[in-house]
Amino acid sequence: MISGLLLALLAGSLVSLQNIFNNKVNIHVGSWTTTTLVLGLGFAASFTLGLVFEGSAMFALHHLKLWFCFSGLIGVGVVTCMVQGINRLGPTFAVSISMCAQLGFALLFDSMGWLGLEKVDFTFKQLIGVLVVVCGIIVFKVGGREKRTANEQGLVG
Amino acid sequence: MRGILFAFLGGAFITLQGVANARISQGIGTWQAAALTQFTGFVAALIVMLILRDFKRQGFKKVKPLYLSAGAYAAVIIFSNVTAIQHIGVTLTVALVIIAQLALTFLMDHYGWFGLQKKRMGLPQFFGIAMMIAGVVILKF
Repeated sequence: MISGLLLALLAGSLVSLQNIFNNKVNIHVGSWTTTTLVLGLGFAASFTLGLVFEGSAMFALHHLKLWFCFSGLIGVGVVTCMVQGINRLGPTFAVSISMCAQLGFALLFDSMGWLGLEKVDFTFKQLIGVLVVVCGIIVFKVGGREKRTANEQGLVG
Repeated sequence: MRGILFAFLGGAFITLQGVANARISQGIGTWQAAALTQFTGFVAALIVMLILRDFKRQGFKKVKPLYLSAGAYAAVIIFSNVTAIQHIGVTLTVALVIIAQLALTFLMDHYGWFGLQKKRMGLPQFFGIAMMIAGVVILKF
């Protein structure tokens, strides 16, 4: 259980680094070139690590189903929706809404046990937990920050 | 209004992606799932890029190699995300990924790491993170 918690925190930390770095690439080469590069590198890294850890077992795809091959298209849906959402609402609101939706659907998937997940029975406690996290996201994102000083605005960035 | 719908769908897709990756990992293994899904995404993005002619070769020279390499992190991200979903469930995994993401972004903004414009930490952000952690504690215990 602790390893699950730590791995989730590791994933989140890497996601935030990736977002910031990809953003810098995005400014210079455009969003689809960035997406292509990011997914291409992700494939290369996954394939390499798979070979390192599993060797030839990397090619043993016994229980392959057809839909597995198309699942990667969800990523294209993510990029399209987020780029459109951010263009229309700005990053703060678009990302807040997206995070709340992520949590809502996570609770739905756990409760329904869809796609072969171990079903986690829906309880009132879980709903409260998710709502508290959602409130935290809203306070974090929408709550104002202290204004930057004139000096910082002029010199940094 | 359409912006809200797009952002909402974006979030739904992100969770669906994690769950689908966990299911595919059960079938063929986690590294295989990460490699396969990203290969499909790569081919699709390449096609969109070519159709839209959205390609600026000169731009690459202006970006530091460290920033260009970020895509490779996805291997570790997918592996960790899938393993976490299998161990602690989707809801808790998503909540923790979001908390780590916001907290680290916050630190990077505060200290102006990686050339980001410095933004001072505010009380609402501390309070927000505290609430998110409280939510996770409620979820788990």
